Amino acid sequence: MATSTVAGQPKSASRNKSKNQQNQTGFSATHFRVPLVLTLALFLLSFVPRVQSNPVLVASFWGAIAVLLAWQAYQFLQMQRQGESHGFFVLLRPQHYIQAMVQSSVYLYWGFYWRPVYEHFWLIIAQILFAYTFDMLLSWSRKRDYTLGFGPIPIILSVNLFLWFRDDWFYLQFLMIAIGFMGKEYVRWHREGRNVHIFNPSAFALGIFSVILIATNTTSLTWGQEIASTLTLAPNIYTFLFLVGLVVMYFFSITLVAGMAAITLFLFSAIYSSTAGVPYFLDSEIPAAVFLGLHLLITDPSTSPRTPLGKVFFGLLYGIGVFALYTLLGALGAPTFYDKLLCVPLLNLSVIAIDRLVRSVSSETLINVWKDNWFSGRGNLAHMSVWVVLFGLMSVLGKTDGKHEGDSLPFWQQACAEGLPNSCQRLVQLEATYCGDNAAWACNELGAHYREGTIVEQNQELSLGYFSRSCELKFKAGCINLLDADTIARENPRELDLRLLLREGGQNLMELPVDQLYARACDHDWAFACDPPRINI
Amino acid sequence: MSEEKQSEQPKVPGRTIGFSIMTVATLFVAIFLYQNSSPDNQSAGGESIAEFANLDGFSSAHWFLPDDNMLGFVEIPAGRFTMGSNPNLDRMAYQNERWSDLRRQGEVELPRYYIARFETTVAQFAAFVADSGAAAPQVPLSGAGNLPVTNVTWPEALAYTRWLDLQLRQSADTPAPLRALLDGGARVTLPNEAEWEKAARGSDGRIFPWREARAEEVANFNSQSTRPVDSSPCTQCAWGLSDMAGNVWELTRSPLQDYPYTAEDDAEGLAEDALYVMRGGSFADGLNNIRAAVRGGVDPGVRNSTIGFRVVVSTQ
Repeated sequence: MATSTVAGQPKSASRNKSKNQQNQTGFSATHFRVPLVLTLALFLLSFVPRVQSNPVLVASFWGAIAVLLAWQAYQFLQMQRQGESHGFFVLLRPQHYIQAMVQSSVYLYWGFYWRPVYEHFWLIIAQILFAYTFDMLLSWSRKRDYTLGFGPIPIILSVNLFLWFRDDWFYLQFLMIAIGFMGKEYVRWHREGRNVHIFNPSAFALGIFSVILIATNTTSLTWGQEIASTLTLAPNIYTFLFLVGLVVMYFFSITLVAGMAAITLFLFSAIYSSTAGVPYFLDSEIPAAVFLGLHLLITDPSTSPRTPLGKVFFGLLYGIGVFALYTLLGALGAPTFYDKLLCVPLLNLSVIAIDRLVRSVSSETLINVWKDNWFSGRGNLAHMSVWVVLFGLMSVLGKTDGKHEGDSLPFWQQACAEGLPNSCQRLVQLEATYCGDNAAWACNELGAHYREGTIVEQNQELSLGYFSRSCELKFKAGCINLLDADTIARENPRELDLRLLLREGGQNLMELPVDQLYARACDHDWAFACDPPRINI
Repeated sequence: MSEEKQSEQPKVPGRTIGFSIMTVATLFVAIFLYQNSSPDNQSAGGESIAEFANLDGFSSAHWFLPDDNMLGFVEIPAGRFTMGSNPNLDRMAYQNERWSDLRRQGEVELPRYYIARFETTVAQFAAFVADSGAAAPQVPLSGAGNLPVTNVTWPEALAYTRWLDLQLRQSADTPAPLRALLDGGARVTLPNEAEWEKAARGSDGRIFPWREARAEEVANFNSQSTRPVDSSPCTQCAWGLSDMAGNVWELTRSPLQDYPYTAEDDAEGLAEDALYVMRGGSFADGLNNIRAAVRGGVDPGVRNSTIGFRVVVSTQ
């Protein structure tokens, strides 16, 4: 029997032990019960109502099951023919289960305020079952025993915190997971004398699929945009992420990576805001999804530098990368939420260079970003203390949770009218988002911009398209603009428009009492909403 | 001894095959998504009009407009006509057809204009979609080409008129009277309420488009479906137009406002929801709703199997 429990032992030791056992056993079919049971569980999961609600989803499950079964059959015959047997051994690593617990808490809190997360539960379980089976078979196909622990769980949870495919395309989610694990197995290098994977598996899958989705302009097949914008529906999400981030920081010494990335982004944002007069990011100093990413996406110890100074560089580069990609993606007309995903694989690739750079530093204090005899040498706790103070400072300055001036559309209108940098582009971007959400006012404004040709290039066809959309949504000014090409009719947002324009990331304001709606609009600088006679309550 | 041991070790497959499989899978996803993002796979535009090529009575060379020397446009001469309903003369009149508190009906003066003899057909709208690439996936564009097009929204109907306007301006075959009108500042568009009503009831204040005819013989109403626009010519009707009563409700470019009628856009009440007038009743309506003065209101985004439109060449 090649199965053993080796909790807490070094991996290499347990692997040797397993290899010895394996050599004694010859072929054994018993180990195939595990992937078979996992596959059966996946099959049973395909009968839950959530999956049965969509035929493509069911077909995706069965397709994945068919692939796993075929692979198991092939692997079985191979091992039987060669008289070999590969089993697994149990190794429970804290970085896996603590990470998984932290990620689960984020799902629980976020999902409480955005229900699609809870509705996604069975699909996450399915991906975990798939990931275990796939990873196990991959390991056996490489003539190795499988390390059975919590490893696949944080990978799946991490992927799903940033991107998941809609039901009609869910087979691509299984494919994304498979490619993530294959990347871990097949894309490797020698680092510090060991053969290790280059990329964080979840970041690898997310990075590859992000590039493909951008290149093919198919982001709408995923929930990526919604995921990025709905985190803020959970009140005090920054404080929540900060608190759960402390747990990860305490156990795995990732404070310097996460903290440095946050500080870099905050500083760059602040410098941009003070010089340009408008916020860099649309709705916050550091978008909530980026704040999540810098706590949970770039902190995998196996694919990031190990020295404290190296971690500082790593965090710094992540901050710069996200900052630059945000503008680059915007300029390319691509969704900007990919900024936090695209730079992680690039950072993983830079790890050896960072290690080399750090080795060139001769000062131990500098390398450790701490002096050994300070605070009894407990550098991580000291770094965490600095991070706590800095986050507190950012919160006191109103740069984390709470209202942000970039949330207000009139702010961008005003900024655009004053000719502040990038403000007109942001205004058009915001209006396009709201028009896509069926806010007729926003469609009419876009139509007006394209007819006027002052802040965007004149485009009669686009203009008519937006006026048509606005008119179909019963916005009278849009209809008049369709009939008469020589004038531009404008009107304030209607009540329904306000319910869409003031959602700030997707809150449901459909049931909000009218007086509160207009008070909220007034608070967001819609001057007409502050004028009681205009309100028909 | 050590060599023997090495040869007993199972041979671990190289990474090349696995790496290749991963690369192929990635490329597959990229190509698959690319194909799904290409315009050919979208439902926009690209409708085939080949099936309408031999549509009797319509010219495929002229966007399936009627095959006559005026491409189906009928002149409505300049002059006054009576608009609205007098309940003393028309017991079926609705309240919104009353001209004002003081007057039951009004007199409206209109310049000369041209109106289509038939409602806009499936083939005509398909020609527009095929030529312009307009996205109209919800408009049924197959089957009989001479049926009136339905399920069009108000902006889609207007888009058709803009396209036809451009075609008529660019074509060498455009009839001279139409060309003169277009060159003089007229445009192809939806009729306004007054243009529609004058075309429907003539200048002699009729209740229906006809004076002496059996309604069942000249109009499609109280029935189950639309009928081809050229299936029942109405020689008794004002100006000889077909289906001004029944078949499909016809969209106009007039916002629904209380009478007295004005040709001005409703620019005052922009805060209200848009609502446009449709006229003529449909196959699904009773006799009272196919009168020439009946006014229906429709959301500009609504699609319905009872709603279509016809076009005018208007100087207003």
